[in-house]
Amino acid sequence: MIKQSKTCGLWLVPCVVWLASGCGERGYLGPVANSHTAIEIRKALDTFSGSAGEGATAGVASSGTGWGTLRGRFTFDAAPPTMAPYDVTKDLATCTLDGKPPLQQTLLVDSATKGIKNIVVFVRNAPRVHESAGPSKEPIIFDQKECVFVTHVLPLTVGQSLQLKNSDNVGHNTNIRGKKNTFNQTIPAGASVPFTPQKEEALPAPMNCSIHPWMSAYMLPRENGYYAVTAEDGTFEIPHLPAGEDLEIQVWHERGTGPGGGVVLSTPEAKEYKWSKKGRFKVKLEPDKTKEIDLNVPETAFRS
Amino acid sequence: MTKHHPTSEWIALVAVLLVVGGCGQSEQVVFRLNMREVVSNQIEPQYQQQIVNVIEAMFGTPDGPSVMPEMKLDIKHLKFAAGPVWDDQAGRRHGLYRKHCAHCHGINGDGRGPTALFLDPYPRDYRPAVFKFKSTYNPARPTTNDLHRTLMNGVPGTAMPSFALLPPAEVAALVEYVKYLSMRGQMETALIGYVFDELGEGDDGNLIPLDPVNDSEQRNVIVDELLGDIVTGWEEAPEQVIHPDPDAIPVDKSSAQWAASVDKGRTLFYGTKANCVKCHGPTGLGDGQQDDYNIWNKAVMTFEEATDSLPNQIKTTRASMKKMDKEQTVATKEDLVLLHRSLTDHREVLEELLPPRNAIPRNLRQGMFRGGRRPLDIYRKVYTGIAGTPMPGGGPVTPGAKGTLSDEEIWQLVDYVRSLPFEPASQPTRLRINYDVLN
Repeated sequence: MIKQSKTCGLWLVPCVVWLASGCGERGYLGPVANSHTAIEIRKALDTFSGSAGEGATAGVASSGTGWGTLRGRFTFDAAPPTMAPYDVTKDLATCTLDGKPPLQQTLLVDSATKGIKNIVVFVRNAPRVHESAGPSKEPIIFDQKECVFVTHVLPLTVGQSLQLKNSDNVGHNTNIRGKKNTFNQTIPAGASVPFTPQKEEALPAPMNCSIHPWMSAYMLPRENGYYAVTAEDGTFEIPHLPAGEDLEIQVWHERGTGPGGGVVLSTPEAKEYKWSKKGRFKVKLEPDKTKEIDLNVPETAFRS
Repeated sequence: MTKHHPTSEWIALVAVLLVVGGCGQSEQVVFRLNMREVVSNQIEPQYQQQIVNVIEAMFGTPDGPSVMPEMKLDIKHLKFAAGPVWDDQAGRRHGLYRKHCAHCHGINGDGRGPTALFLDPYPRDYRPAVFKFKSTYNPARPTTNDLHRTLMNGVPGTAMPSFALLPPAEVAALVEYVKYLSMRGQMETALIGYVFDELGEGDDGNLIPLDPVNDSEQRNVIVDELLGDIVTGWEEAPEQVIHPDPDAIPVDKSSAQWAASVDKGRTLFYGTKANCVKCHGPTGLGDGQQDDYNIWNKAVMTFEEATDSLPNQIKTTRASMKKMDKEQTVATKEDLVLLHRSLTDHREVLEELLPPRNAIPRNLRQGMFRGGRRPLDIYRKVYTGIAGTPMPGGGPVTPGAKGTLSDEEIWQLVDYVRSLPFEPASQPTRLRINYDVLN
C-alpha cells in the first residue's frame, strides 16, 4: 500500500506542475465581448440611420449671463527640483553654450515664489464664448534657438497660423504628434515654415525635432481662447469666462500623473472644486467678479 | 478492480485533466482590446467591457466579421479573408488572413503575431491607420492601391514578402481585410478617447455607462462623429495623392544633365536646407541621428516610462503620508491602492508589448528602398516624409501649403539618392561636405 501511494504521489507532481504553469502564462489581455449584448447594440445602431442634425448642438445648455475671471496660482509643496541638462549628442557647436548643454524644462519651479511654470489650464466646455476669446487669426512665431523650442508649451486656437521658425545655423524639423494634428517638415537654417492646426485636441500634443530628439515642446489647439499657461511664479488668468455656468477646467502638466498628463490633486482645497482623477475641476463664476484659487501642489502630483 | 490498477487511475485522471485544460487549442479566436490605451487612460473594467461590446456590435468577430453600411467595406471580401483556414468544394481557399498574415500581424492587426518579436523591423500595427508606404500626403490614409502595391511588391529589406502569386481576388480580399482591421483599431481608440473625455463619474458619483442602446446621443456620436471621421479619412485618400508637377518631371536627360542634377542633389543632401545628412549620415549609410523612435515604438516607450515611474510615485506618496492629518491619510491610502493596481496593470500589459527599438534611418547605399525604388516612390518620400517615422518631408505638408523644397530640388535629391549606391563611399574628392554643419 505504501509503495502504491508513493507512485500516485509521483504522478501527481507533473500534473500539478503543469496545472500551475498554466499553458505559457501571458499578461492580462483584457475583456472579451459579450455576444448577446453586442447583438442588442447592433440592432440599436442599425435602427439609427444617421438622423442628420439631431444632437449636433448637444452639449451644455447656456443658462447664465455676464462674464467672470478665473485667476489662480500653483505652488510647489517641496524643495524645487534641479533640472538635468539635455542629452545633446549632435551639433554641439550650435546646441550648447560654451560647451554646456541647456537645462531641461520638464518641471520648472521658481525658487523665490515656488510657483510652477508651464501648467496649462483650459476650459473643456464653454456654453458661451466672449468675443475676445473667439478663434484668433493672429499668427504666432514659434522659434527654436540653440536647439531649444523657445516656447515650451503653446496653446492656440484652431485655424491660428504658426510660423515654425529656425533661428539656428543648423537645420531642424518639427514633428508634431497630436491625436488629430500631425506635421513633420524640414526647416532650413534661418528659415521658417507655416503650419495651421485644423482640429481641436483634448490634451496638449507633443512635438519634437527628429534631428535633435531631445528638443521637446507641446502644442494645444482649442476651439476658443479659454486657456492659460502658468507663468514663472505659477500664476494664470483666464478673463471673460461665461458666468453662472458650470465650467469644467482641465489642468495639465507634462509630468502630471493623471492619464495623458492631468494634474491630479487630492488636497483639501482641491476637494472643494471636485478635483477628478483626470486632473479636472469644476467652478462657477459670478458676473464681473474674479475668482481666485490658490493651490499648493505636492510633489507626488508629478512623475519623476 | 480499483485495488489492482491504482496507477492507471492516475493516468486516466491526468489524461482527462489534459483534455479538459486543453492548453489553448480549443480556445475561441477573439479580438483583444488595445490594453496599452486602456491602461494609460485608466479606463475602468466596466467601460472596458462596454467598449468591446460596442466594437463587436460594429465589426463582428475574427470568425464572423460584420460591417455597417457607413464603413463602405465589402463584406464578401472580408468573409473570404476572415475565419479559420479551409477549402470549399470548388477548391477556393478561405481564412486568407490567418493563413498569410496573422502569424506576423496578429489576429487584431496589432503587429504582434507570434513571430513579431523575432522580426526587425516589427510587423506593422494597423490600428493607428498610419502606413509608411503610400502615395498620399503625410497625415492622410493610404489609398486602396497603395495597400495593394505593398501586398504585391512586399517590403524590400524586411520580412514582408510579395503576395503577387496569389489570385487577384485573394489579394483584393486581404487588402479589404487590412482596411477593416485598421478601421476597427481606429474605432477602438476613438471609443476609449470618447469614454475618457466625455463619460466617467456622473454627478451622483456613479459611472455614466457607454450604452448606445438606451442613449440616442451616444449612438449619434458613435456612428456620425467617431465612425464618420474615420471613414472620411479613408474616403478622402484618393484626393490626397501627391502628383508631381508634370513640367518638373525630368525626362530624357543627357548624361551631362544627369550629372549636373546629381551634383545639385548632393549639395542639398549635405546642406542645411534639406538636412538629409543629419540622419542618413555623411556617407549615406544611415548612421546619423539614430536616437529617435517611430510612433509605434514611441507609444511603447512612453508606456514603459510611465510603468517605470510608478514605483517611485508609490514611494513618494507613502513618504508624504507622514505629515498628513487623519482625513488626508485615509484619502492617500485610497490613492495608494489605485497606484498599486495601476502598477500591476501596467506591468501585465507591458509584458505583452514588443520591446521598443530606435528608428534607424535608411542606408541609402544599398539601393533598396522599402517604399519602392521607382523615382516616383523616392520623390514622394522626399516630398512628404514617411508617416509615423522621424523622416520629415521637404514638400508642402498638405495640398496648397508652402514646402521647404521646390519640385525641381526634390527631383535633384531623387537623382542623388538613386546615384548613391554607385558612388564609392571612399571617394572624398567627390564629396563636398560642409564639415561645419556636421559637428
